[in-house]
Amino acid sequence: MEDSHMRSDGGVTRRSMLLAGGAVAGIAGLVGIKRALRPHASVFTARGQRYDADLTKTIQDGLTACGLNPAELRGKRVLLKPNLVEPSKAIPHMTTHPAVIVAAADVFRGYGADVTVGEAPGHVRDTLMALDESGVGEALRDGGIRFADLNYEEVAWRPNLGRRSKLEGLYLPRSVVEADLVVSMPKLKTHHWVGVTASMKNLYGVLPGIKYGWPKNVLHHNGIPETVVDIAATLPRTMAIVDGIDCMEGDGPIMGSCKHMGLILVGSNLAAVDSTVARIMGIEPSRVCYLALAANRLGPVDEGLIEERGEAWRSVKSPFHLLDQEHLQRLRADRGGSLFS
Amino acid sequence: MPSLAEHLDRLAAATHWTYRASAQSCSEPAAWAALALVAHGRVDDGARPAKWLAELQQRDGSVGISESESEPRWSTSLAIWAWAALDAARRERRFVGNIERAVVWSLAHHGEAAPRSPQIGHNTELVGWSWAAETHSWLEPTAFFVLGLRTASHGDHPRVREGIRLIVDRLLPDGGANYGNTIVLGQPLLPHMQPTGIALMALAGEQLDDPRIEKSLDYLHRSVNSKMAPASLSFACLGVSAHRGRIAAANEWLLTVLDDATRGPLAEYELALLLLAAAPVERLHQITAGAAV
Repeated sequence: MEDSHMRSDGGVTRRSMLLAGGAVAGIAGLVGIKRALRPHASVFTARGQRYDADLTKTIQDGLTACGLNPAELRGKRVLLKPNLVEPSKAIPHMTTHPAVIVAAADVFRGYGADVTVGEAPGHVRDTLMALDESGVGEALRDGGIRFADLNYEEVAWRPNLGRRSKLEGLYLPRSVVEADLVVSMPKLKTHHWVGVTASMKNLYGVLPGIKYGWPKNVLHHNGIPETVVDIAATLPRTMAIVDGIDCMEGDGPIMGSCKHMGLILVGSNLAAVDSTVARIMGIEPSRVCYLALAANRLGPVDEGLIEERGEAWRSVKSPFHLLDQEHLQRLRADRGGSLFS
Repeated sequence: MPSLAEHLDRLAAATHWTYRASAQSCSEPAAWAALALVAHGRVDDGARPAKWLAELQQRDGSVGISESESEPRWSTSLAIWAWAALDAARRERRFVGNIERAVVWSLAHHGEAAPRSPQIGHNTELVGWSWAAETHSWLEPTAFFVLGLRTASHGDHPRVREGIRLIVDRLLPDGGANYGNTIVLGQPLLPHMQPTGIALMALAGEQLDDPRIEKSLDYLHRSVNSKMAPASLSFACLGVSAHRGRIAAANEWLLTVLDDATRGPLAEYELALLLLAAAPVERLHQITAGAAV
C-alpha cells in the first residue's frame, strides 16, 4: 500500500508537498521570530588612536554609543580588568597599555563610580613584578587608582551559570563578586591555541591563581572554550574596552610581533565585541571555538545582529599573521595568501 | 630607617601571615615566616607560624592554602619544609607527627602526566606536583615539594628524584625558567626571576651536570637589580645563595626594598621572603638540607 505522503519511487506526493510547504513556512516564521528575539548589541570602533593622546573622549563616546547611561554608575563599583598575563618591558604590546587603563578609570570616576583595577596575572605569581614590568603599577600610583590583586584575594564560590564545562561553580575574588560592573580591557592579540584573545578570554584573569594555579590549569583541563564562556556567563554585568592601538600578531598571546592598528573598541556585549575584533583581524568568528559556543547565548556573533557604531569593521580590517598551524589557519576568513608567520 | 633586627621583630610579632591582598592568614606566608626566623636564629619566634600550620593540617595530612580554603593543597610542601627546618634547628621532634602525615599525603598525590606532543617542548610524561588536583605537574609546586621532602630526609625517594628531573627539564634552553613551559609551537618562552630562583633552590646540592643550571645562575646575576619587586628579588637572591654564590649588593638591595614604602606596606609574605634572602648563606644551606642550625 502506498504511503499517503510518500510514493514508492521515493518521490513526494502533492499532499506531502503541501504539508511540507506548510512546515517550511512555519519553520521560516519561527526562525524569523527566533532571529528577532536573538540579542542585538552595539560595538563602537574608533580609529587613529594614540597612547599619548587623550583617550577619555574616545572611551566616553564609545560608552555613550553603546547605550551606557552614566547616571546609573554613580556610586557603583566598577572593576577594570586589563590583560597583564606575563608582562615584560621588552614586549609592551603584550599587555594593556597603562594610558588606556588610566583613561578608562578617569571616565568611570567622572561618572561618580568607585573604580578599582584588578588582575590575576595568569603566568606570574609575583603580581608586583607584573605591575612594574607593564608600567601599570606606576601609572596607577600616579593616578591614585586602587589595584586589587585578584590572585590572592579571599574568594567566594558562585554557581557556574554558563554550564558549558563540567565545573559546578567558580571561585571568584572578593573584588569581582562585589563589583557592579566588570570592564574587560584586553589587548587585541592573536592566541596560539584559540586564534584570538580579546574581552572574553581576558576574563580568565579574574580567576584567582591561588585556587586555579599558575597557569590556571584547572580551566584548561575543563576545556578552554567551555570555561571562557562559563566565566563570562557567571560574572556580574560586563562591558569591554579593547586596547587595539599597538596589537600582537603571530605567536600571541606572549611572543608575537607588534602590529599597529590605532583602534579602540567599546561594547556592552563581550561576544559582539570579540566577533568584531575577529573580523577586523581577518578571522571568521564563527570558527573561533569559544565564540561559536557563545553565539546567541552570551550575545550575537552574526554580523547582522551587531550594530556598528563609529568605524565599520570593514574600513579598519587588516588581517593579522597567524602561525602556520592547521588549527589556526582554518580560522581565517579568507583562505589563501601568506597570512602566517 | 628600621634595622634588619627591627624588621625581624616585626615578623616575629606577627599573628597573621598574609599576602598583600589577603585579609586572612595563608599557609605560604606562614611557612616563609617560620623559615626566615629560623634562618636568622630566631628559632623560638619561628615556632609560632609553624604551630599555626600544624593547627591547619587536615586529617589526611595535607595543609590547605589558607584558614578558610582547604584546597588546593600545594602548601603542604612548604609546611613540611618549615616544620623540618624548625625541628632540626631545635634538635627536637616536635613536629615529627605532622611531618610524617604530610609526607604520606605528598607522596600519594601527583600532577597529571600527558603523552608527549610535538607542540610542547617539555617532557609531559614526567610526574611532579601540581598547583591544583587533577592538573598537570608544574615547576614551582614540584620545586616546593622537592625542597620540603628533601629537608624531611626523603631526598632519595623516587618521586623526589623524578621531581628533580622535571625541574631540570623545565629550564629554558638559554637558562632561566618560565612558569613551567619551555617551548610552545617551536618558540622558547620568557624566563622570569621567581620561578628561576625557586627552581635553583630545589636543584642546589644535587649532582647535576646540565649547562642550563649555570646559564640560569647567569640569568639571575644579569637580570637582578635593586628596583625589583620584593618576591622576585628575594627568590633571585635565594636561588644564587643556594648554589653558594652571592649577588654582590644583595643585602643592600634587600634592605632598600624592606624600607621602600613606594608600593605600600609589606605583607608578611614579602617581609618573610626578603628576610630569608638576607640570612647568612650557611644558615640557608642548613635550612635547605634540614641540618641543625
